[in-house]
Amino acid sequence: MDLDFTRAEQDFRAEVRDWLAGHVPGAPLPSMDTREGFEAHREWEHLLAGERLSVVSWPVEYGGRGASLVEWLIFEEEYWAASAPGRVSQNGIFLLAPTLFSHGTAEQRERFLPGMARADDVWAQAWSEPEAGSDLAALTSRAERVEGGWRLHGQKTWSSRASYADWGFGLFRSDPASARHRGLTYFMFPLAGVTVRPIAQLDGEHGFAELFFDGLFVPDDLVLGAAGEGWRIAMATTSSERGLTLRSPGRFLATADRLVRLARSTGADPVLADQVARAWLDAESYRLHTFGTARRLAAGEEIGSASSMGKVFWSELDVRMHALALRLLGERGLLDGGAPDAEEGGRWLDGYLFSLAGPIYAGTNEIQRNIIAERVLGLPR
Amino acid sequence: MNFAFTDDQLALAAAVRQVLAAHCPAEAVRNGRSPAWSQLAEIGLFGLLVPQEHDGLGLGLVDAVLPFEETGRAALPGPVAETAVAAPLLLAGDPALGKLAAGSLRVSVRIGDQVYAPDADLADLLIVEREGVPHAVRPEAARLTPQSGVDRTRPLFGVEFRDATRLRTEVAPAVRAVTVAVAAQLVGAARHLLDTTVGYARTRRQFGAPIGSFQAVKHRLAEVAIAVEFAAPLVYAAALAVDRRLPTVDRDVSAAKAAAGEAAELAAGTALQVHGAIGYTGELDLGLWLARVWSLSAAYGGPGLHRSRLRTAILGTPEVRRWP
Ligand SMILES: Cc1cc2nc3c(=O)[nH]c(=O)nc-3n(C[C@H](O)[C@H](O)[C@H](O)COP(=O)(O)OP(=O)(O)OC[C@H]3O[C@@H](n4cnc5c(N)ncnc54)[C@H](O)[C@@H]3O)c2cc1C
Repeated sequence: MDLDFTRAEQDFRAEVRDWLAGHVPGAPLPSMDTREGFEAHREWEHLLAGERLSVVSWPVEYGGRGASLVEWLIFEEEYWAASAPGRVSQNGIFLLAPTLFSHGTAEQRERFLPGMARADDVWAQAWSEPEAGSDLAALTSRAERVEGGWRLHGQKTWSSRASYADWGFGLFRSDPASARHRGLTYFMFPLAGVTVRPIAQLDGEHGFAELFFDGLFVPDDLVLGAAGEGWRIAMATTSSERGLTLRSPGRFLATADRLVRLARSTGADPVLADQVARAWLDAESYRLHTFGTARRLAAGEEIGSASSMGKVFWSELDVRMHALALRLLGERGLLDGGAPDAEEGGRWLDGYLFSLAGPIYAGTNEIQRNIIAERVLGLPR
Repeated sequence: MNFAFTDDQLALAAAVRQVLAAHCPAEAVRNGRSPAWSQLAEIGLFGLLVPQEHDGLGLGLVDAVLPFEETGRAALPGPVAETAVAAPLLLAGDPALGKLAAGSLRVSVRIGDQVYAPDADLADLLIVEREGVPHAVRPEAARLTPQSGVDRTRPLFGVEFRDATRLRTEVAPAVRAVTVAVAAQLVGAARHLLDTTVGYARTRRQFGAPIGSFQAVKHRLAEVAIAVEFAAPLVYAAALAVDRRLPTVDRDVSAAKAAAGEAAELAAGTALQVHGAIGYTGELDLGLWLARVWSLSAAYGGPGLHRSRLRTAILGTPEVRRWP
């Protein structure tokens, strides 16, 4: 056991740090949940991709560098420490791509991955439905078999970034006689053929959208994996969403460091100081834990349901850290970017609102605790 | 970067676990004062940190951390952390190290934030800190005052003494190492409490169903699993920091002890609640682990003390550093 980075890992860190220092925009980009901000974030992704930094862990042929998991974690630490822009392509590169790598065809990988890496195509995840949230298997959107492909019907909702994205991926019931987890198929589809109704979030921006399908034709080559196998395929990569890919330690380490700096500058009574110190250590613990997980994955082990522990941990830590920052700032903490007195352009407030969604998306924390109890600890259903 | 235990480290832990399964059942915890001692000596537990020229294994705290988790899991009684972890550092260079490595020198200590010497009545040698300097005290020269308490299987003693030999070693490295060893024991004890309680929740039935099927019970146990899962890496990293003498070592040791203590206390409280009245009885073995968690969490500085140090270390210094 050690915590030493190899020469190559250190060099990689130095390269990423230097590049980011020279390229991260001086002023934050406008919110990616606006049309203008979305395109600005897409531009930023082009710049990253030009340096092969948008998807460092992917194979070279798809735009990556074939970096190891540890190098990817290093990249993330540097990325968030540099206050680089949020990743508009995250649901594609972190959620769909692992599924394409494990279950897609060679043609699908060649067709979609390079464009995803450059954010020429931004992807939206379309799993949830009005009547199927935590209980995803209750979904009723359906795919009807037609000559050469399928026609999609029904409604999806809460689809992040779908307001401005190019493509979607989601599960549809392809066998009308089926129930629950059976008879579902994993589809990719162009959003151009879907009616998209943007939905304003707590911050007022249109961060997610409802999707209405009215018989959109999807050819067979947009089916991911075999028809009817959708549930198994989707679940195979849920641990990416809960754990180390979508929300690696880097962003929480950066927030923890900022929080400590904030507490030093505002001053903190012993009660708040204690909570700040705890949060800093919790972020450190998530980092150490993730290095252990990376090692196990590299050794070919599966993490499976244990990723649910990480999901609860990082999402609740993120809320705690931002709530603490607001408490340290008092009334000023609640000022948004439009207010002259806002701290860091309202970044703590934005972060707080964003953090509040963490315990809800990617499977609510109640569902994660059920999973931990039943599948990690083995308690009866 | 390889933040995972090696096969050798895992094998040593497995050997300790096996020995304890055979020689330290709950009954031995309840009635014995230092069960499994000679068997643990045989597999080298007491020589782990003793240099090879004194017939030890010459290993580091990182190699000891999983074996110590096992001693915590078994609630092994006796001055094991003091003898196997504190003593080799306090007696560095001393000819007594050979006996120590062989398991034929039992040591109790009162150093650092430890107020009383645990299991001092069993010790062949006491090492007591006075004015920042460790002193070796023979049992004949010591007056022990039993301070009975909640953990009857880890009795505490006040120590007074006249004759003592000043040791030339520093006390701080031993304090750090034994604090991490105790943190590892707390992680082990928490794992035991979680396993036992899950086992009970699967079999105890009320309202026609196993109590473990009730969500309120599930979520409490999930909470314990998370707390233990994220306390353990801090303990392992602290062991590395001790071995490497990192500049952050004091902070890392405090982080390990506070997190392990709090996780174990959560495990203990949850275990009792989920067991209901049977858990409250002196007849069930559960109480042995509850008491051990309470006593180890307070040992070598409790979470309150370590948290106050962490506040200073994290907020009171110009730049907090992560390793590396
Ligand atoms: C910001 C944001 C972005 C999102 N982005 C996407 C996206 O891109 N694509 C997508 O498909 N979805 C997305 N979602 C939706 C998200 O996946 C769902 O909100 C989530 O699965 C919960 O479903 P629900 O909102 O219908 O809540 P419900 O399932 O109705 O749950 C409501 C409450 O009941 C609790 N509950 C439900 N069932 C149980 C149970 N069995 N035991 C205990 N408690 C239970 C829940 O934990 C929750 O607290 C997003 C959500 C948010 C907030």
